[in-house]
Amino acid sequence: MSEVVLLQLIGLGVIGVGVLILLFIQSRFPRVIGFVMIVLGLFSLIALSIPQMASLPPAEEKFDVASIKTANDMAMIGQKIFFSKGQCALCHSIGPSESARCPDLKGIGAKLSREFIYESLTQPQAYIYLDYRHEGPPKDYPARMPHINKNPIGLSNNEILSVIAFLQQMSGEPITVSPSEITMPGQPAPVKTPAPASPKGKAKGKAKGKAVMKADAGLVAMAYGH
Amino acid sequence: MRNHEASHGRDLGGLNAWGLSVAGLALLAGLLGLPVTGWAEEAAGASAQVSYRDFPQLGGSRNIIWVIAQIHLLLAGFVLGVPIFAWLCEIVGWKTGEKRYDKLAKEFTKLLTSSYATTALFGGILLFMLIGFYPKLMNYLTDIFFPSFVFYCVMFLLETATLYLYWYGWDAMQEGRAKVFHLFLGFLLNVFAFFIMVVPNSWATFQASPVVIAEGSSLARAWAATWNPTWWPVNIHRLIANVVLGGFICGAYAGVRYLSAKSAEEREHYDWMGYVGNFIGVFGMLPLPFAGYWLMREIYQYNQQMGITLMGGFLSWLFILQAMLIGVLFLGANYYFWMGITYRIPGAETKYKKPILAMLVILLLCLGVWMTPHSLVASLEEARKLGGTHHPLLGVFGVMSAKMTVANLMILVTFMSFIMYWRAGKEETATWAKLARAVMSGVLGVAAIVVIVLGVWGYFVPAIVRINYFSVAQVLIVLFVMLTITPLTALLLKSARTTTEMVWGRMPPRAGYALVLNAVMVILLMTLMGYARSSSRVHWHIYGVMRDSSEYAYSPALGYAAAFMSLNTFIFCMLVAFIFWVATMGDKAKAGHGAMSAMAGGSHELDERSGR
Repeated sequence: MSEVVLLQLIGLGVIGVGVLILLFIQSRFPRVIGFVMIVLGLFSLIALSIPQMASLPPAEEKFDVASIKTANDMAMIGQKIFFSKGQCALCHSIGPSESARCPDLKGIGAKLSREFIYESLTQPQAYIYLDYRHEGPPKDYPARMPHINKNPIGLSNNEILSVIAFLQQMSGEPITVSPSEITMPGQPAPVKTPAPASPKGKAKGKAKGKAVMKADAGLVAMAYGH
Repeated sequence: MRNHEASHGRDLGGLNAWGLSVAGLALLAGLLGLPVTGWAEEAAGASAQVSYRDFPQLGGSRNIIWVIAQIHLLLAGFVLGVPIFAWLCEIVGWKTGEKRYDKLAKEFTKLLTSSYATTALFGGILLFMLIGFYPKLMNYLTDIFFPSFVFYCVMFLLETATLYLYWYGWDAMQEGRAKVFHLFLGFLLNVFAFFIMVVPNSWATFQASPVVIAEGSSLARAWAATWNPTWWPVNIHRLIANVVLGGFICGAYAGVRYLSAKSAEEREHYDWMGYVGNFIGVFGMLPLPFAGYWLMREIYQYNQQMGITLMGGFLSWLFILQAMLIGVLFLGANYYFWMGITYRIPGAETKYKKPILAMLVILLLCLGVWMTPHSLVASLEEARKLGGTHHPLLGVFGVMSAKMTVANLMILVTFMSFIMYWRAGKEETATWAKLARAVMSGVLGVAAIVVIVLGVWGYFVPAIVRINYFSVAQVLIVLFVMLTITPLTALLLKSARTTTEMVWGRMPPRAGYALVLNAVMVILLMTLMGYARSSSRVHWHIYGVMRDSSEYAYSPALGYAAAFMSLNTFIFCMLVAFIFWVATMGDKAKAGHGAMSAMAGGSHELDERSGR
């Protein structure tokens, strides 16, 4: 017997007792108790009739460095992280979606350089795009991208590189992240850090030249196509 | 640790108001802590080795904490909410000279006094449980919040002393300056109670939206952590919610006493008390959604993911349950008003039959819209036939624009129910009465239309425009209606002639059950939203700072959680019933000897008749 069925039976039992009290007991206070039992039982049954979703802590993707041979291996891990620990899909969609709160990431790997993506993930406030939608006034209440390398999400450098590999692969681009950039546990991060992201990113002519605000340096122009 | 603050496993939300400390215990802990800080630090190092303890034989540490914290929080909400309106009642009695209000205030305070010790008791139990089950978390929080622990203890001591003076000095301070001093004590009681609420709120909100600074004195760190982004929204939301809870529980108490009343005098009194309790609950309930809206807005601003987890993630269905509970509460509160018109004001039922029917239809339609889910529960095949998980016709009601609109309309209807009740049985004699009625009708009609227009328009503008401008405008319009029509009605009725005297004690038994239903709905709502707030932290004790690494680092599905909410609600109701029963034993004994309990008559006339 599943937990839901068991709880439903208990709920029905509680309602049944409440009904019996109302039917056979005339004393006022027990009748009030019976009434309360019916209300609570009904509430439980209704709550049990809607989709039952528990929220489990994100599964830790095992980053077995030895098993990563190719960039595609990294992209596969990146895909899992994208939909689990990274929580990217909580806000972003891949392809148009009415329910997405943040920019559609379809083809993002073709629009932006890996350096820009890296910076967007680890220093999201470096550039604040005022309005990712096409219409309406700019947001004065911007949806802030969290620092992905810090808590509560806290992706490691390896995991971030894997996500970038996934984004590039998903966009039909050659993966520019190499397994050689993966660091062993306990090993310091590679000296090579991503080059400062160019405001122009890796625009490929799809951009519409909307304005973004550099958080600490005023307005700059950049191409960021949607 | 999982969620539930209401449940609050790891959440100090449960430490809310008065509890945390059985007064002496907390004070002792605080004062002892001052000179032995060095020892405390060493002990902290030792306890840090143990992160969690469990008690699986009793359902696990989290479930134990869930029950204890929830009961404590509900009691604390009641104990905090009651002094607000007890004091206001006392002021009304003092200003108008109507003794029945003073007696009612005293009866409210009696319920408060009898619940106070139990609240503190559960606070103490919760504290022991938290220290035992979550030593690492408690150690961390103590390290940050120790200065506020001390402040809390001082506030608790002052609150307790003030309550003693307020309650035991009631009869002795009835006249002249003594009465003024007594009112001042009531004011102080509320000031201290406010601090007793907001201090633990800072601990709880810190867990959801922490502000951690590494540098500075311990006071500076505690202050920074206290003034976190969700602190004030939660303070305001809880303050209002506590008044609502207190009002409806007092209403339910009166409802039960009304059902078992044996004399006409008792029936009159408890009928009136039930009316006052329901009025207080409704009065608080009207602005509550606005406070909730502000809180959600702040949560989104603080952390987009947390907001999405709440509103669009695994908790999204919870808001359908919330809509159902609020809807039933609105219906229950209105139903009680309508019964009041029908039974207490002879002859009014025919006059108001059609408006009541219209209001009922509007409420039901609004509730239907509010409860329409954004996405339907459908199999893949069903979804294909529908062309998605949105219903082709009803799907349009599943979005926030529709829900905000109907919520505002329900508030308007409930407000008008009250106005209708207020005006029933009276004939306005002012020369400008016709004009005033026209203005009121115009304001109400235009407001309703504008709210609907903004709601429909909201579909065609970007979400941010709707959230920042349209929804805010809807709220302001409804507030404008209340702030316009209430004083206008009061002015009108000042010179009105009473055509039909209000007759208390004639309500049918179902009125008592309606009051009980309202109280149960409010309690369930508090348990539900506590679960939501705690679950929004997902697998974090302190969001982004301290992860829950226990075996309970998950949030249960709604069905399981709802069963716990029901259990907690039932335990709380029984506990309160027991406390109130004990507290009124003496009154019953006195009544048996011919003297009615402290509260006496349900009306001014009754007061005069009985010579009180």
